[in-house]
Amino acid sequence: MSAFTSRLARLPREARDTLFLLAVIACCIGPLTAHIPAWASALTAVLLLGRAVLAWKSRPLPRRWVSGSLLALSVGLTLASYRTIIGPDAGITLVVMLLALKTLELRARRDAMVVFFLGFFTLLANFLFSQSLATATAMLVALLGLLTALVNANLPVGRPPLAQAMRTATTMALLGTPIMLALFMLFPRIAPLWGVPGDQLAGRSGLSGQMSIGSMAKLVLDDSVALRVRFDNPTPPPQSALYFRGPVLTAFNGREWYSLAQPEAREITWAAPAPADLQVQSPPLGYEVTLEASHRPWLLTIDAALDPPELPQGMRARMAPELQWLTYRPITSVLRYHAQSHLQFSHGPQHPGAWMRPYVQLPPGSNPRTQALARQMQADPALTSGGPPAMVQAALERLRSGGYSYTLEPGVYSNDTADDFWFERKEGFCEHIASAFAVLMRALGIPARIVTGYQGGQLNPVDGYWTVRQSDAHAWVEVWLAGRGWVRVDPTGAIAPDRIGMFERLQAPRGVFGNTMATVISPTLLQHLRAVWEAADNRWTQWVLNYTQDRQLDLLKALGIQQPNWQDLVRLLGLLVFSVAALGAAWALWQRRSHDPWQRLLERVRHKLARAGLVLPAHLPPRTMAERASQYFGASAEPLAQWLLRLEQARYAAQPQPAPGALRRKLRGLQWPARKAP
Amino acid sequence: MPRLSLRTHWQRWWMARLPLTDQLLLTQRNVYILPTGAGWMLALTLLVLLVASINFQLNLGYLLTFLLAGSAAVSMHLCHGTLRGLQLHLSPPEPQFLGAPTTLQIQLHNTRASTRHAVALAIHGSGQWAWADVPAQGSASVQIAFAATRRGLQRIPVLTAQTLYPLGTFRVWALWRPQAQVLVYPRPEPGAPALPPGQPRDGSAGAASTRAEGEFDGVRAYRQGDTLRQIVWKKAAKAWAAGSGELVSRDGQQAQRHELWLDGAATGMHDIEARIARLAAWVLQADRLGLDYGLRLPGLHIAQGSGAGQRHRCLEALALY
Repeated sequence: MSAFTSRLARLPREARDTLFLLAVIACCIGPLTAHIPAWASALTAVLLLGRAVLAWKSRPLPRRWVSGSLLALSVGLTLASYRTIIGPDAGITLVVMLLALKTLELRARRDAMVVFFLGFFTLLANFLFSQSLATATAMLVALLGLLTALVNANLPVGRPPLAQAMRTATTMALLGTPIMLALFMLFPRIAPLWGVPGDQLAGRSGLSGQMSIGSMAKLVLDDSVALRVRFDNPTPPPQSALYFRGPVLTAFNGREWYSLAQPEAREITWAAPAPADLQVQSPPLGYEVTLEASHRPWLLTIDAALDPPELPQGMRARMAPELQWLTYRPITSVLRYHAQSHLQFSHGPQHPGAWMRPYVQLPPGSNPRTQALARQMQADPALTSGGPPAMVQAALERLRSGGYSYTLEPGVYSNDTADDFWFERKEGFCEHIASAFAVLMRALGIPARIVTGYQGGQLNPVDGYWTVRQSDAHAWVEVWLAGRGWVRVDPTGAIAPDRIGMFERLQAPRGVFGNTMATVISPTLLQHLRAVWEAADNRWTQWVLNYTQDRQLDLLKALGIQQPNWQDLVRLLGLLVFSVAALGAAWALWQRRSHDPWQRLLERVRHKLARAGLVLPAHLPPRTMAERASQYFGASAEPLAQWLLRLEQARYAAQPQPAPGALRRKLRGLQWPARKAP
Repeated sequence: MPRLSLRTHWQRWWMARLPLTDQLLLTQRNVYILPTGAGWMLALTLLVLLVASINFQLNLGYLLTFLLAGSAAVSMHLCHGTLRGLQLHLSPPEPQFLGAPTTLQIQLHNTRASTRHAVALAIHGSGQWAWADVPAQGSASVQIAFAATRRGLQRIPVLTAQTLYPLGTFRVWALWRPQAQVLVYPRPEPGAPALPPGQPRDGSAGAASTRAEGEFDGVRAYRQGDTLRQIVWKKAAKAWAAGSGELVSRDGQQAQRHELWLDGAATGMHDIEARIARLAAWVLQADRLGLDYGLRLPGLHIAQGSGAGQRHRCLEALALY
């Protein structure tokens, strides 16, 4: 190892600089390898390693045709992978390949600059995929590395240590931070300039407008945050009341449930959704939601929100007939909105009618045993007397006491999913339970539909935010009862009350790493660390990622400007720039003057003499000035000459005064010689 | 007078405004700053990053762009500060021969507490930069090659001090017109013939020598007043080995009777420059041999003498002729 480090220390300067630059480029490109095709990552790694070997052994660079042909190969492969070379994904791949190929051509200074600027582009490309705190820190380090390499390239003398360039780069970044903060806070946030095909960049996860039996179970494995909630009231409602409404699924084809807005639902039914007709009973519960970018137009609100959520400027929301709030464009970035929900409410038509047809429709011939069970229940006189509510209760009772369980891995279901659940396996995830329940309800003739969304959440004790993750995705049922409208029934709660009531969630099986971590570090500590990290990440999201124009206008309001708009932002920015420039000019002017008070006094005298016609050079002592003045002006310069001699005496005395105060006063009252043309 | 382009007029007028000085303190008034090509490329990169941040609504993209912009602004200040406050001092240049490479010695003084990195000096327009790092509270020295174009007193051309230091995005430079003038000796003729014969001294043309003319060595006994060069040391060594302690010196009478005059007419050339070249070569030859010599040209008369001072006088006279 010491031989390696000593070899490293003895490397010629060019080799050392090239190796450092390659390391920095690897830091910039590293996080991107997960998002570019495998061939691109492999080729980049080979190129960078090859260049490093060439630098280590001080071999010459390959000829131009080598890099030229590699470039052509990269463009061809990009075209093959993406069918285009325009667009974010292809563009990012091309930039990464260009950067790796350019390192093979580091011949002149101009090539080095191209490498640096391509490096800046890859830094930005990283942010297209993730803007978390971790990414930000990593990219900051990479940026400092790039700046260090750039400073180092401009130190041509000798072999300066890299630490020196690093120090300069860090100083520049630190001194530039106030400018960055001022611009960040005041630069107006403009809407996107042209349309962004956002789907390509990040895969959709989370809820979709359809549910196939088994799809929700995949979401349990996804631990990423779906949304964060902060309640206005410090005492939040119980976790069992937190149902976040997502898409409502009506059309069923035996295996999949579809929302009526989905095109696939057209094959099953052509009906429109029933009108909402929302009535609220309880006082409103206010809360603020920070929704991660889901690329869907759904605004997740707690059942049920009567008024539209307060969205940032330029965004509007509308309520679908199924009580779901939607925006007009997919949500492509973190969105924060304030909403008010009422936990006690009723909605839906009061009387039966033709609108009921899609909600009792079942594919013919499916789930025969469930149909038989339904007929059996309908024939029961005790249940018939009670009407539909009694039948619902009976079904729930069956779930409670029939030996059904709630599990993450129920196995593969056959085509008759409800039959499988009710009679064969008797275990399932929330989607199986909800689907089977809805099928039974429909078979009984009671209108039913499935509501998907999120249920519950976890309180972060560090900052008081409720974190709702993708693994909190849930499906429950709404049945229509005459006189009450749509009523929520959560069949999962009948089987596993813990799921709804307490903070228990099914834990996804941990991998090897997770198990090792759990044995080494205690789970509570892990959880606490995780809570702290999440709180930091949340704070990051709130303050930095979610810094929208609303926040900027709030800042202006705090500064005292009423009715602020973006022109005020620009004006404030301009004012800031102007005042900084004025300060700079004032400093420059202050620097130009000499600071010695004696010198300044002599300067004044010289200036006045120049106006009177005698130009004296700057280096003359007072005595010589007196002589020249007497020579030039004659007797009228006598008082001035005397004053100059006294100045000299005072300045060069054994104990000189610190400032020529008295002399300055005398100068004001001095008799000045008359102007004489030279 | 040939029509000069506007640019040349502008350059001349600008250079003429520079004060002639051997010592220059760089302040805000005489230091200029402009972005380089790389600076414009950085500006373009920042613009593209900003547009990408706006379009993809990336707050971190804004942060990156603004941090880079802030760093570039700070680097502008740092770049300017590298030259501002620097003191340049030109050492008086030595006289040089035309055609021989000349170097100018320039000292850079730094009174600041931080090092000034990557300061470059060159003759304005030459592109041959000499780099130096000036340590804190210290000085550094730089040598600039300078090719003289003709003989005589030549003014040193305008020098440029420049730095690109932190990021290479800004170019800070200052122009300096030194006051000192280089004395350029004429180029000695490469294959000059032997020195001309000595001419008899005035007034001693008829005096016969008492000494025999057969003595080729022309040695005689040492007389007080003979220079060290006149003593024949080989013989003296032999004499001392023999124990006699006597010195012999060369007979200067032969030389004392004749004087070496380097005359323009004696060169046998017609062109004045060729004459000067040959005379310069002869001066160097005579100086190498340690002879007494004088220089004669129409309008120029230098008395007999020898040594470095005589050489300098003659060469200077030839240079300025």
